[in-house]
Amino acid sequence: MTGFVNPRTPDDEPIVGRDRPRLDSTMKVTGRAVYTVDIEKPGMLHAKVLRSPYAHARILSIDASAARSLAGVTAVVTREEIIGLHSYGTYVKDQPIVATESVRYVGDVVAAVAAVDERTAFAALDLIRVEYEQLPAVFDVRAAMEPSAPAIFPDQPFAAYPEYGDGASGAAHTAHNVSYEFRYETGEESVWADCDYIFEDTFTFSRMNHMHLEPFATVAEATANEIEVWTSTQSPFPMRKELARVFGLPENDIRVNVPLLGGGFGAKNGPKTEAIAIRLSQLSAGRPVRYCMSTEEVFLTLSQHDAILTVKSGLKADGEFMARQSRVLLNGGAYADASPLVAEKAGYRMPGAYRWKRIDSVCQAVITNSVPAGAYRGFGATQATWASERQVDLIAERLGFDPLELRLKNTKELGEEFVPGETPIDSDLKHGLILVADAIGYRDRTRLSNRGMGVAIGIKDGGGVNKPAQARVKVTTNGDVFLNCALVEMGQGGHSALCQIVAETLGCDPKRVRYAAIDTDNTPFDQGTNASSGIAVMGHAVRQAAERVKCSVLDTAAEHLMLDRQSIRLDDWTIVDAEGTTYELPPLIMERFGGTGFEFTADGYYKARSASSAPLEAPCIFWEIGWAAAEVEVDPETGRVELLQLVVSGDAGKVVNKLGCRGQDEGAAVFGLAQALFEELRYDDGELLNGEALLYRVPLAEDIPRRFSSITQEQGHGAGPFGTKGMGEGGMLPIAPAIAQAIADATGAQLTSLPMTPERVYNGIRAARVRHGGADGNA
Amino acid sequence: MSLESPESNEETLTHNVEFELNGSPERHCVPTSATVLDLLRNSCGKQGVRASCERSVCGACTVLVDDLPVAACSTFAFDVDGARVETVEGLAAQDGTLSAQQQAFRECGGFQCGFCTSGMLMLTTALLRQNPQPEREQIREWVSSNTCRCTGYEMILESVERAAELAGAKQQDQVSE
Repeated sequence: MTGFVNPRTPDDEPIVGRDRPRLDSTMKVTGRAVYTVDIEKPGMLHAKVLRSPYAHARILSIDASAARSLAGVTAVVTREEIIGLHSYGTYVKDQPIVATESVRYVGDVVAAVAAVDERTAFAALDLIRVEYEQLPAVFDVRAAMEPSAPAIFPDQPFAAYPEYGDGASGAAHTAHNVSYEFRYETGEESVWADCDYIFEDTFTFSRMNHMHLEPFATVAEATANEIEVWTSTQSPFPMRKELARVFGLPENDIRVNVPLLGGGFGAKNGPKTEAIAIRLSQLSAGRPVRYCMSTEEVFLTLSQHDAILTVKSGLKADGEFMARQSRVLLNGGAYADASPLVAEKAGYRMPGAYRWKRIDSVCQAVITNSVPAGAYRGFGATQATWASERQVDLIAERLGFDPLELRLKNTKELGEEFVPGETPIDSDLKHGLILVADAIGYRDRTRLSNRGMGVAIGIKDGGGVNKPAQARVKVTTNGDVFLNCALVEMGQGGHSALCQIVAETLGCDPKRVRYAAIDTDNTPFDQGTNASSGIAVMGHAVRQAAERVKCSVLDTAAEHLMLDRQSIRLDDWTIVDAEGTTYELPPLIMERFGGTGFEFTADGYYKARSASSAPLEAPCIFWEIGWAAAEVEVDPETGRVELLQLVVSGDAGKVVNKLGCRGQDEGAAVFGLAQALFEELRYDDGELLNGEALLYRVPLAEDIPRRFSSITQEQGHGAGPFGTKGMGEGGMLPIAPAIAQAIADATGAQLTSLPMTPERVYNGIRAARVRHGGADGNA
Repeated sequence: MSLESPESNEETLTHNVEFELNGSPERHCVPTSATVLDLLRNSCGKQGVRASCERSVCGACTVLVDDLPVAACSTFAFDVDGARVETVEGLAAQDGTLSAQQQAFRECGGFQCGFCTSGMLMLTTALLRQNPQPEREQIREWVSSNTCRCTGYEMILESVERAAELAGAKQQDQVSE
């Protein structure tokens, strides 16, 4: 079920093909779509890795001689084979290709083998002897920060980080086992003195695996001087840069090819399988090496950040929000990966959708002996929204406000600044809140026992920072179009949407536009497919390239036909003059250029301007908003929650592809639903208990409420081409808090930890009875 | 694989498997340990069959064996000896015309990254053979045997409903012809 709502319908025409299926639909329903896992090269070898059985240990010795001499093995990589090569990481470069002095989590890579087939590679791994000296390990973020905790990095790894603008600052290694710390501050400290109420609450946020169905996979062909990879990455150019750094090669000796991705959700940023496959290929006389992880290995490679968030909010007696302080600890796991960036965003997004006179946020990424945490759909905003929205509901209960009314009172207006120097809010936030509330009947409901409703809003700065995007559009003599840019298709529908933007600009059928294969030698530069930036950032570059091609076609035609340039237009590869006379372009082009004709080509470029007044170096491109409303029924005897209704809404600004927008919001909402109720990486004293598909519960069709719908708003204020905004992450943000409030509304149980399992709900109900002086509180 | 593993010097037990694949006969000599997934992807070149969890959980590798959906990753190749096997490659007509299921998933956006799509389509094919007009509840139950991480499922459920509708209409056309 879905709906489209336009409070302020943009005047312009609908975008060509927006009602039609995505352009990648045929290849995907016929099984012809090609992913990295499908890449095969003649003479291809297969890699497998040996992983640490210990959470923290010093490596005393590695004896790989038996593995090396096994027939069929072409190369073994241990710490001996990576001497002189650099470690990787987003800001903090702390992750080596294979472990050197020590292993830092269960699953850390100790050695890698290339062999003629996977079976032989496995057999070789069994022959590698590693002597460890176990070291004390630490898994809890608070415990890790204690001075007595083991130092997971005794020597501080190299780190580089941004300058930041007004009110923001960041630094690496600020405390024991802290890889990165972000701070943001605005307004006067004295605001606290004007508050009538101050509440401080602590929330915990769980940790999920991305569970992209296509595992991490790479095929590499590499010598000491040249590297080519086919790999499942969201960020081809950052990958090239990082590989150049790790292997000490010029970037033009490294070529990164990126086929379709079978899901990413943030996981496929930064090296995963690449460096291992490359090093093994280099040591196997340049033969191609394929390293495809199993799902179990994916679990040992990257996760979301679990977090402890303490939020202190001050407000006036009438419910006006005044000041908010937050202290967030993210569990970054053993290596920094994207933790610094996630810390930055989790800290920055703590104000939520509300107006505060004073904001003071600190977020620290803590190193522990667990799987590294990195980018994950929502990127810090999911953690921040959970705590921020949950506290609004706790405050509403304490002061006797209706949670929706308290939100409406404090929600920022359209056009109001988020914080000084930042982009004004570009959606009508209240409109969205009322929309989802009314969609579940929040305001005119009849109270039924054990049933409750909740509404929430999540907000994140979208489009990324420092993202120069380039695109190229080429049109052949016959009007067949290529779009050449590095936006990776990982399911979000970006390729299709960008092709539609080209088609819209050139006035042709989107089917005539082909998205060219991505390889870093030939594809124009881009910073990466992340931060919901595809449409709002790359879309501008693509549109500019298409506009420029169109201009060049019109210039050529006007000159050739001796017509006034301003009086002609392009329609379906035909020139139309002021009188409506049409001139087909192919014969015109052949006449003018002769031979095999011509190809019109133009480039486009876009980058948001940086500004030192913007806290994060540049004002954000757009605000990505997720609104949600939920209704639950709770069994008070068991704590079991049944989700009766879930409505999610995002603001596309302007829809380029209806199915695409809807799919992004609904898909994101179901990530949120799972995080709310059951999906979680479970640990017992640091040991991952459910790191495989059978034990790790992801949502299935049966988990989706019978009344589940999405509303794609087109508010028309987006900064992207045609008024668009980015999609894909917003829908995840408000789900868990909306469900939490619905549970509170139904039972009085105010939960502060995720997931909201029957056990937690049951205990929450008992606690609520005690709080409200219920008779059976101690039963 | 282009080269033999060293263990193949030792006696690797093999087995001849003869079966029908998407309507055509196939005959392969495979190790007894080979799965249907190995057989279809590596020996028969059916790369539309996707490998994901390889634990019979996610359903990305779902193919039909004698009309029933099975996890190719967890079925031995020798088990399909003499059977009729169908993969996503067999759904469209020879001229490329998409089947009702394929058309429906296209139209209704029942896919995003596409990695679960082959399995979902085969599941739909099996369901519609058993019950050409399934109710929403039965569709939910069937679709719940496979994992999709992208769509949130609602658009897949709608795709299956639409597939039933399109297949029904096609059949009506054939009757009235």
